[in-house]
Amino acid sequence: MSNAIETRDLVYRAGTTFEITDLALNVPTGSIYGFLGPNGSGKTTTIRLLLGLLRPVRGRIQVVGRQVPREAHLMLARTGYVPERPHLYPTLTIDEAMRFHAAFYPTWDTKWADELLVTFRLDRSRRVGKMSKGETGKFMMLLALAQRPELLILDEPTDGLDPVVRREVLMALIEYVAERQATVFISSHLVHELERFCNWVGVLDNGRLVAELPMHAFKNGIKRLRVHHPPSTPGDTPFVLLSREAGDGLSAGEVWVVRGWQATMSQYFDGIGAQLREVVDLDLEEGFVEMLRTFRHPVEVHS
Amino acid sequence: MFDEIDPRSPTPLYDQIASRVRVAVASGDFRPGESLPSVRGLATRLRVNPATVVQAYRALEQEGFVEMRQGAGTYVREVAEERRGRERDEQALRMVRDLLADAARFGIGADAIASALRQELRSEAP
Repeated sequence: MSNAIETRDLVYRAGTTFEITDLALNVPTGSIYGFLGPNGSGKTTTIRLLLGLLRPVRGRIQVVGRQVPREAHLMLARTGYVPERPHLYPTLTIDEAMRFHAAFYPTWDTKWADELLVTFRLDRSRRVGKMSKGETGKFMMLLALAQRPELLILDEPTDGLDPVVRREVLMALIEYVAERQATVFISSHLVHELERFCNWVGVLDNGRLVAELPMHAFKNGIKRLRVHHPPSTPGDTPFVLLSREAGDGLSAGEVWVVRGWQATMSQYFDGIGAQLREVVDLDLEEGFVEMLRTFRHPVEVHS
Repeated sequence: MFDEIDPRSPTPLYDQIASRVRVAVASGDFRPGESLPSVRGLATRLRVNPATVVQAYRALEQEGFVEMRQGAGTYVREVAEERRGRERDEQALRMVRDLLADAARFGIGADAIASALRQELRSEAP
């Protein structure tokens, strides 16, 4: 399978405190790739590197088969981008802003742009600077979609939008993906939003890629166990014990978070004289939080 | 019928979608020859990955519930009555398993569930 986005040994520094370190991203062609990370983890910086807007200290970046930044202009013609902060001329009308944008893209689809204006209930005579936050969010997605790109790079495209607008924006995105089989690289800290439609996940923390894996593997890998009468030292576990904490008071015993769980491993607890009371699947958000916590404090095991 | 899919559930989304169709075919809500929603339409409505809908439809096709016609859509196949009966039984079993697992989590034993079920069935009888 080819990759729509690929980076190797990518290093970037901003000032003396922040650094993107040896980033190796693989975004499979045709995937919807969720790029997760807490605020300040480097998601926007990474996206700006992918688009050729920042120059790396070293490393290789390839986007839709083009070397970035050298061939960025060829890549940009085939890539739709929704930036974290919109860059629009406030005095233009929606119609003027649309024609201005269309001039850069030979693949611009006027008919579909007009349909999206109706779907999004946007008034083409309205001044861009007068748009509400929701209208701006919808308009930015319209501009990215109507150029019919093979790759969409979306930086927090629904951040600050209300649930109704968020749904409209995502539905338009998914309809396009279904029709065009486009690749989507979407960053968000709204983790539950990505859970519905992403089939790949990359997790960034402090400029480092913590994990990159298919969504189903991410969700299946991490479990929360409720363990009664646990030993003080767990010994050799067949799974990776990420954390261990006292119960929440409502339930006795301890709560263990583990990685690499399989159903047959419940036998381990019989062997150590403990009782496994419950195995809880973690959803994406909980898995994400646990993954970051253990990445930051790898050997910390509470007791 | 697809509206209550739960992305946070441990059951994969494609399986949840396929399961809804199986039940609808088993109960006769979906008749032979009827078409399923298009991949694009259903993915958009549910805001799920189009590949997830394709995966669900492929699974249903392998099981013999539907037929995917290239470029023309996905259609419900004639499913024998005993197969539909078996599917209803399996679905009932799955629901009971989920119920028992939930009950265990709250420390409610199987006996309590069984007696509650008997009581509820009696009160429902005409």
